[in-house]
Amino acid sequence: MSEDEGPALRITKIGEDYHAAFAAMATPCEIRVQTADGALAERLGQLAQQEALRVEHKFSRYRSDSVVGRINASGKGGLLVDAETGDLLDFAQECHKTSDGLFDITSGVLRRAWHFDGSDRLPDPNRITSLMPLVGWRKVSWKRPHLRLLPGMEIDFGGLAKEYAVDLTLHRLMAVTTQPLLVNFGGDLRVSGPRSGGTPWHVAIESVQMPGTASGILQLSSGALATSGDARRFLLHDGIRYGHILDPRTGWSVKNPPSSVTVAAETCVEAGLTATLAMLQGADTEEFLKREIIRAWVIR
Amino acid sequence: MRRTLILLTLAVVMPFACACSEIGPRPWEKDLMARSEMQMNSYPVLGAAEDHIYFSREASSGGRGFAGGGCGCN
Amino acid sequence: MQLKERQAGDVRKRIARLSAGLLAASLAGHSKSAAAQYDSENNNFGPGIAYSQLDAALLVYQEAGGRVSATEPTLDLSVHGADGRQLSLGFVADAVSGATPNGAVPSNIPQNFLTPLRAKGSTATVTGASGGSTIIQLPPTPGQIAQAALGRQYTVPANTLPVDKGFRDHRGAFNFGWAQPLGGISEVGFGGSYSRESDYQAVTSNAHISQNLNSDNTTLSLSINGEFDSSFPFGGIPVPLSVMNAQWKSPTSRNKTQLGFVAGWTEVMSRWWLMQLNYAFDRQSGYQNDPYRVISVVDPGSGEPISSLYENRPLHRQGQSLFWDNKVDLNPAVTEFSFRYYTDSWNITSKTAEISEHVPLGNSFYVEPSGRWYQQSAASFFRYFLVGSQALPQYASSDMRLGAFTGLTYGAKIGYHINGRSEFYLKGEYYEQMGNRHPASAIGQLRQQDLFSGTNAAVIFAGYSWDFH
Repeated sequence: MSEDEGPALRITKIGEDYHAAFAAMATPCEIRVQTADGALAERLGQLAQQEALRVEHKFSRYRSDSVVGRINASGKGGLLVDAETGDLLDFAQECHKTSDGLFDITSGVLRRAWHFDGSDRLPDPNRITSLMPLVGWRKVSWKRPHLRLLPGMEIDFGGLAKEYAVDLTLHRLMAVTTQPLLVNFGGDLRVSGPRSGGTPWHVAIESVQMPGTASGILQLSSGALATSGDARRFLLHDGIRYGHILDPRTGWSVKNPPSSVTVAAETCVEAGLTATLAMLQGADTEEFLKREIIRAWVIR
Repeated sequence: MRRTLILLTLAVVMPFACACSEIGPRPWEKDLMARSEMQMNSYPVLGAAEDHIYFSREASSGGRGFAGGGCGCN
Repeated sequence: MQLKERQAGDVRKRIARLSAGLLAASLAGHSKSAAAQYDSENNNFGPGIAYSQLDAALLVYQEAGGRVSATEPTLDLSVHGADGRQLSLGFVADAVSGATPNGAVPSNIPQNFLTPLRAKGSTATVTGASGGSTIIQLPPTPGQIAQAALGRQYTVPANTLPVDKGFRDHRGAFNFGWAQPLGGISEVGFGGSYSRESDYQAVTSNAHISQNLNSDNTTLSLSINGEFDSSFPFGGIPVPLSVMNAQWKSPTSRNKTQLGFVAGWTEVMSRWWLMQLNYAFDRQSGYQNDPYRVISVVDPGSGEPISSLYENRPLHRQGQSLFWDNKVDLNPAVTEFSFRYYTDSWNITSKTAEISEHVPLGNSFYVEPSGRWYQQSAASFFRYFLVGSQALPQYASSDMRLGAFTGLTYGAKIGYHINGRSEFYLKGEYYEQMGNRHPASAIGQLRQQDLFSGTNAAVIFAGYSWDFH
């Protein structure tokens, strides 16, 4: 491992489990394994850190040498992407269609207009209008493996990367051990199955009003959880709450979104995507979740 | 006659010659294909034993793999 | 802001499928690069292999009516290395014993059959009690090479299908295979096998090449194989259509070569339907007779067997088959159905249809009922018997393996996934053969006899599969 890999891996034993913690993707990451074998826990922690950092380095928009960095810097000629990036782009394209344009990985440029600092300062509408020509997946030329963006456009896998990393990491760890595992990258988590004896894992949902305390405990025996929403990033203007999730079709924030939506699904990618889509329904989040028969918890 | 033959051949070949579009499910639509039960010949040891039994009782062999049994039981 | 009107749960289901598919695609590609990372310290097989699979299995086969029974343990190891390289090794042993039809027809009076005594080192004991045969003193026969003084005689009761009960053999075989991607080609590989039993040896070799196209939806493959067999029966190779006798014969062995190829097309037809179409071509040249098998010559009036002649089959055989296999995922059950059509230069045509239904029960168990229907037509030289007054044909065999019959197999398998990486399964099958017991050509006493020498068999197969690093 090179020196700039970030903070070290911390292994601790808590109860029946070993916890391995590290930081990646600007978020605290942790894996838990129910085992008495410390060496195994260390190995698993290393593999998880490796995978999380691999995904981060490859898809981070902050690194000029990452795939995303090179895509965003590619000029009129576009560039060729590898199989994994191609799969993510295909996936993003299909999600764009399924969500009727709500999910759009080209919407990142809008962050230049929006500053979610809890204040009541809404962005200048002219600024948003000037950015809208750079937003919209249909403007992207994607003929696998060749990708071409219009000048000034950017793609951002931020809405997918953490959940994707969780799923890949879990699979990687499950190939090495059959002990019960839980992978949690900043609140997006997935378990390999129940704990030994069939007992579920206990997951606390962080309270929105009082961060750091639990507003509820979930019992998870299989699958993944992902949470969309962040109580700290919003704007409040004339009594209307503007969440940090923007509608790529208008450039504006979704009106009256919930504070957070936690979705349970089989994979973390599915949970994360569904949570994002649910948030984008604004006031209609609950109705969307009910109509789609999704297991979710909404905090308004 | 010759022209019809050429046109017929093109009609059969063209769909396969067109490299620009792809035929079949997209990679993300192949989730079910990843199941081990969806692989062809997912239990080769069982398949080989059954082939051996049929080879020793019947005149035909092969199909999935080579004909012949590599043993003297026929 | 509302998503378009759809069925309840449509969006969720679509997202679920897309996500599963993305991960499947990523993991498939990822395991190769992950394995490559893992393998950076060791370039060859050893620590750092991506995964391996060990399969151990036991087959027990029993025919009805005290006929053939066999036990066959197998062991298969398959090692998947970095960059798609694959090594496979397999071992098989089988022990076969019981009674097998000798090719003669039943008679209304007891019949005696004479065969050479087995060679030294044979595991068959020859006494009156075991195998139902007796050692007899042979009368001297002038003009025979390597005249034997002793022979083995067994008697078959009246109105019974003549079978040789002294049949017992062991066989051991191993096979190996190697496959890897090469340059732009998806996979190239080669392999071979060696099989040896007390009176037969077979050596095979094969090579294949396959290419994935169309985002891995299409796979085209071509494999060629060759086989060299040696038959060295007890008592030597009999002169075809000569009278059955106890003398040791010459030559002691004869060979057969086989060359063939299989062209295959596998296609992912849709998200839930996988299909394979194979065309196989096969040519065999050389000794293809069963050296122990005879055919009865019967009296044209009474239908009683007068003598038994060693069978004779052509030296060349060319066969082709078309095989179509389908796997359909009806989530959670998987249905497999296949058809095979076979035809060869011995005038045999056959049709095979198979179906099975894999049904998961809960997280760990599954059941899989299955069925197979098989129908074959007789070889041009197949005869139930020969008639004494008629000229001897050039080729003749009464081996029901070459005759017309229908075979039905009923099977049921259950499996248990012990954890994510090992599995135990048990399969039971019952194979029924049905053919013409009273062919129209039967004359005299043969009309009262059951001339069909096929039989039913029960099979049990137990297997254990284990994935490890």
